Amino acid sequence: MWRVAGFLCWENGKNEMLRFYFEVARTAYRRQLIYRWANLAGLLTNIFFGVIFSYVMIALFQARPVAAGYNVQDALRYIWLMQAMVMVVLTFGWYDLMLTIRSGEVVSDLSKPCDFYWYWFSREIGRSAYFLLFRGLPTYLAGMLLFGLGVPGDLRLWLAYAASLPLAAMLGIAYRFLFNIVAFWVLEARALGGLATAIALFFAGSYIPLPFFPPWLRAIATWLPFNGLMNVPAQIFLGKLTGIALLFGLGLQVLWVVLLTLGVRLLTSVAARRVIVQGG
Amino acid sequence: MVCNILADFRLYLHLIAMQLRAQLQYKLNVLIDIVTYLSVTCLEFVPVLIFFGPFPSLLGWTVGEVAMLYAITSMSFGLAELFGAGIDAFDETIRRGEFDRVLLRPVGPFMQVVSSEFRLRRLGRITQGLLVFIFALSLLPGLNWTALKLAVLPIAIVSGALVFIAILLLGATLCFWTIQTTELTNILTYGGREMLSYPLTIYNQGLQRFFLFVVPLAFGTYIPICYLLGRPLPFGLPVEIAFAAPLVALAFALIAGATWRFGVRHYQSTGS
Repeated sequence: MWRVAGFLCWENGKNEMLRFYFEVARTAYRRQLIYRWANLAGLLTNIFFGVIFSYVMIALFQARPVAAGYNVQDALRYIWLMQAMVMVVLTFGWYDLMLTIRSGEVVSDLSKPCDFYWYWFSREIGRSAYFLLFRGLPTYLAGMLLFGLGVPGDLRLWLAYAASLPLAAMLGIAYRFLFNIVAFWVLEARALGGLATAIALFFAGSYIPLPFFPPWLRAIATWLPFNGLMNVPAQIFLGKLTGIALLFGLGLQVLWVVLLTLGVRLLTSVAARRVIVQGG
Repeated sequence: MVCNILADFRLYLHLIAMQLRAQLQYKLNVLIDIVTYLSVTCLEFVPVLIFFGPFPSLLGWTVGEVAMLYAITSMSFGLAELFGAGIDAFDETIRRGEFDRVLLRPVGPFMQVVSSEFRLRRLGRITQGLLVFIFALSLLPGLNWTALKLAVLPIAIVSGALVFIAILLLGATLCFWTIQTTELTNILTYGGREMLSYPLTIYNQGLQRFFLFVVPLAFGTYIPICYLLGRPLPFGLPVEIAFAAPLVALAFALIAGATWRFGVRHYQSTGS
C-alpha cells in the first residue's frame, strides 16, 4: 500500500493528496472491523455503565422533578449520549502514537512524503467513523430499548448535531495527539495520558452532566476545549442550545479545533527537529 | 499440606519483594505514577459531591453515607487491583504461550500467576479510598461506634477485595478457551465497582439479586455498610448477615478457584 501512497504523494497534486488521506482513513476503518469481539465487549461495557448512571439519575430525580432545567428524561438522554459518543470522540487509552515515538517507528512516519499530522488525523477519523456506526448507534439504541429514551423529532436539531459531532471528533483527535507527543520529551508518558483523558472526560460531562455543575465550575468548564468534546453536541441533541447559544457552542468548537490543531502542529515541528533515533 | 501452603506463601513474599525492589529503582517514576493515579481516582469521586448540589438525597442516602459506601468499595477494589494484577494480565501470558513455561515449573500455576505482577501505582486508588473515608467520617458524626461496627469495616474491605479477585480469576479462566481479551470481566470489575459505589436499592430487582446472590459483591460492600449505618437490607435480609460476608466471599472464591483448576487441566497451548 505504501508504494501506491508514495507515488500519490510525489504527484503532489491537491486531489491526489486528498485521495491518499481518504484511503488512509478507509484502511483504518476497515482494520477496525476485524475486532468484532472486542467491540462487542466494549459495547456491553458502555451499555452497563449507561444502565448504572441511569439508575443513579432516576434515584436522584425522586428528590425533585427538575434540576438545572433538566427533567429525568433529559438527564437519561444526556447520559446515554455520553456512553454513545465517548469512543467516537475520545478513544480510551489511545497511545498508538506514543508507542511509535518510544519504539522509534515515528521516524519512518515523519519521513513519509505526506503531512505527519494529517496522516494520523486520517487514521483516527476512520476509526471515529467505525465507532459511530458500530459503537455509538448500538449503545444509544440499547438505551432507547431499556429506558425508552426516544429521539428528537426536529430535523433542525439533527442537522445541528451532524455539524457538531465531526467538530467534536476533530477536537478529540487534536487533544489525543497532544498528550501523545509528550512522549517526545518524556519517554513513559502513559500515566500522564491517563490523567489527561480523565480530565477531558470529567469536563466533557461524561462523569456528570455539565448542567449539574455548580455555577462557578460550569463557568470554567464552558470555556475549556472539553465542552465541545461531548457537552455541546449532547446539548444540541437535547434541544437545549438554540439560536445564539447554538451558534456560540458551534463557534467555540471551531475555535478550539483551530487552536488545538495549530498548537499541536507547532509542537510536532519543534519536536521533529530534535528527534534522535535510538538504536538501529 | 500446611507445610506446602507455608512454603508457597514464603515464595510469594519473596517474589513480591523482588518486584518491589525492581520498581523502587525508579523512585520518582513510581511516585509520579501513584500521584497521577490518585488524581484520576479523586476526579472519579468528584461527581458524587456534585450530585448532592442540586439534589438533596439519593433515595434517602445523604452525601456522607454515599461517600462511606464509595470509600469502602474503593479500598476493596484497590486491594484487588494491587494483589490481583497478575491475574488481570493473564491473557497476555496465554497469548504469548508463556503459560507452557509456567506449567513446567515445580510451583503451582496459580501462585506463579498471582506473583507475576505487583503494581505500586495501585496504591493511588487505595489512598483515594482512605481520603474519601476520612471525608465521610467528618460528615457522619452521629455514628455510634461499637466494637462490632469497628469490626465490620475490615470485614467489608477484605471480603470485597476477595470477591473482586475471584472475578478476575474467573475472567482469567475464560482465557483458557477464548485466548483473547478479558474485556468482558471489565463489566464486573470496573462496572461492579461503579455500581456498588451507590446504594444497591436504586437498581432494579434483577441487578440487586445478581450482586447479592450470584456475584456476591454486595456482601463485601453494601451489606456491611448498611450494618454500620443502621439501614435495613433489601429482600428482608437480617442486617447481622454482614458478619457472614467473609464466608460468602470465601465460598465464591472457592468456586472461582475450582473453575480455574478445571481450566488449567484443559489448557491447550496456542503453540506460538
